[in-house]
Amino acid sequence: MSKSVIIGGMIAALLALLPLLFIARARVVRSDRTRIHLIQDMDNQPKFKAQSSNPLFADRRAMRPRVLGTVAREQLNEDTRLYLGMSNGEFVPTNPLPITEALLKRGQERYDIFCAACHGLAGYGDGMVAIRADELQEGTWTPPTSYHNDLMREREDGHLFNTITNGIRNMAAYGPQIPAQDRWAIVAYIRALQRSQNAKLEDVPEELRASLR
Amino acid sequence: MNHFVFPKWSNFAAPALVIIALIVPGYALSVVYYGGSPRTTDVGYEPAQPVEYSHALHVGKLGIDCRYCHTTVESSAQASIPPTQTCMNCHKQIRAESRKLLPMKQSHATGMPIEWIRVHDLPDYVYFNHSAHVTRGVSCVSCHGRVDKMQVVYQKETLSMAWCLDCHRRPEKHLREQEFVTQLDWTPGEDPLTYGLRIRERNNINPSTDCSTCHR
Ligand code: HEC
Ligand code: HEC
Ligand code: HEC
Ligand code: HEC
Ligand code: HEC
Ligand code: HEC
Repeated sequence: MSKSVIIGGMIAALLALLPLLFIARARVVRSDRTRIHLIQDMDNQPKFKAQSSNPLFADRRAMRPRVLGTVAREQLNEDTRLYLGMSNGEFVPTNPLPITEALLKRGQERYDIFCAACHGLAGYGDGMVAIRADELQEGTWTPPTSYHNDLMREREDGHLFNTITNGIRNMAAYGPQIPAQDRWAIVAYIRALQRSQNAKLEDVPEELRASLR
Repeated sequence: MNHFVFPKWSNFAAPALVIIALIVPGYALSVVYYGGSPRTTDVGYEPAQPVEYSHALHVGKLGIDCRYCHTTVESSAQASIPPTQTCMNCHKQIRAESRKLLPMKQSHATGMPIEWIRVHDLPDYVYFNHSAHVTRGVSCVSCHGRVDKMQVVYQKETLSMAWCLDCHRRPEKHLREQEFVTQLDWTPGEDPLTYGLRIRERNNINPSTDCSTCHR
């Protein structure tokens, strides 16, 4: 009698440890099972949040793309110089935004985010992705163009802007990822990069020249 | 007469009952407390995604900035998952024939979006805003962990109200210059607390703990 009680008690105590073990395991192991969610409150409300899915539409997107042929408010983008880099069907030669230090800083930041992966931080076409793609030797990859040759230096600002917006040959379009103002900031920064890699002694202020020799 | 005699072990029954009465509620409480805590139920959630996309490769090895893909993280509440087109910027040419990228190719051809599975998910009654944090110098790493080392993204923090408030009361050790927010391995190179206090002072950062900040 007493033995069975003791054994029973011990088994019960051991079984009681199991939940604690499961809890300890759940706290250290990562799992792809759906999260346990006992008390629902109003955690999942019948509404559509950004980028959620909606089975009513064929493509299941809750966020609807703009209807073709319509213009959203404040997105008329009439200024072709600013939004297309063109005026009267020609590329604008210079940046429509005033070149300030803030614009160049912004351009540098945006360039490092969106372009440096392929074109490299200094614009020689030696970014990490370009290096890796070269290593892969797949035959489908075109190396990114270096900015430091005469052809690229002579391109109009509007041409560079258009390249970013719509892509060129094997380079994809970055218009959807980068707002127009930032694209112009990048253009200004590319101009600065080009000057920095093609500077003559005369470009350095006179009082600093001695320190370069 | 056949007397009923308590067996000898019953002498221990009373103390045993007392011990059990002490242990059982404590046990039940700790199972509920630890079992129900978001650290058990939520942290470590690592759903298998429809494409074997790896942050460790794209961010850690190739050095692509978070904002290349999560383009709206600085300007809106959502960080947003990139559309298929963003991946095709590179994968039209790189590894275009890879079996792992087949879903991307199909999605690109048909226009049907990839259905990524949400990892971090606040209750729908909570208002969260990425730009309010990222533009004030709170790095992704404070809330998402070292994503640049993750093959598959998992939830690192509890995302509970206590966790939000902990930082809103004492944000110092999570603050840095805004230009470093996407460099997850960045360290201030001095005592993080004095550094953070200086940033907090200079940028006048005072996260609100009013209920209406997060519940509106
Ligand atoms: C995925 C890699 C990749 C990224 C990212 C990228 N480019 Fe390119 N870029 C290329 C490739 C490849 C070419 C060459 C295309 C060709 O010759 O077919 C190129 C060419 C160019 C050219 C030369 C066009 C001409 O006039 O001949 C410019 C300018 C340029 N890119 C600017 C940019 C800017 C600015 C960004 C950032 C917004 C950027 N690129 C991001 C891959 C990239
Ligand atoms: C090349 C594109 C790309 C880059 C660069 C990138 N991500 Fe992502 N990220 C994705 C995609 C695609 C997903 C969705 C699939 C997944 O969850 O793995 C994602 C998902 C995430 C998630 C999980 C979202 C959720 O469902 O809760 C987090 C957090 C995240 N990324 C953070 C980062 C951080 C931090 C960086 C920079 C260190 C970064 N990402 C850079 C493409 C990218
Ligand atoms: C800036 C360029 C770039 C972008 C953008 C990019 N990738 Fe990649 N990705 C690469 C490179 C380069 C490799 C090959 C790396 C290697 O093999 O070492 C790669 C490899 C991969 C692989 C592994 C392929 C294999 O067969 O091993 C997958 C899967 C992948 N990427 C998915 C994605 C997804 C999904 C996105 C969009 C969210 C994306 N990539 C965006 C450059 C990019
Ligand atoms: C203060 C904490 C915090 C910081 C800092 C933060 N995130 Fe988040 N992130 C969250 C939370 C919380 C969610 C879940 C949001 C929800 O469920 O609505 C989330 C969700 C996401 C998602 C899923 C998609 C979405 O928009 O909801 C991505 C991607 C993401 N974060 C990327 C990033 C990147 C990249 C950074 C850094 C530039 C970053 N996050 C910085 C807390 C943070
Ligand atoms: C790592 C620190 C940290 C964490 C974690 C954090 N926050 Fe914040 N939060 C901040 C800072 C810093 C600010 C900016 C305060 C300022 O601008 O003075 C902020 C601002 C905000 C704002 C904007 C307030 C306003 O005035 O517009 C909201 C909303 C917010 N946080 C919600 C959340 C929620 C919800 C969570 C939890 C899911 C969270 N935060 C977690 C640090 C944090
Ligand atoms: C910094 C953001 C933030 C602030 C400020 C905040 N909350 Fe919350 N609250 C949250 C988050 C995040 C959750 C969701 C927690 C979860 O997922 O369990 C939450 C959840 C809750 C819940 C539901 C809890 C549950 O598990 O059922 C209540 C009730 C609540 N909050 C009340 C309040 C009240 C009252 C205040 C003001 C004193 C307040 N909150 C201030 C972020 C906040």
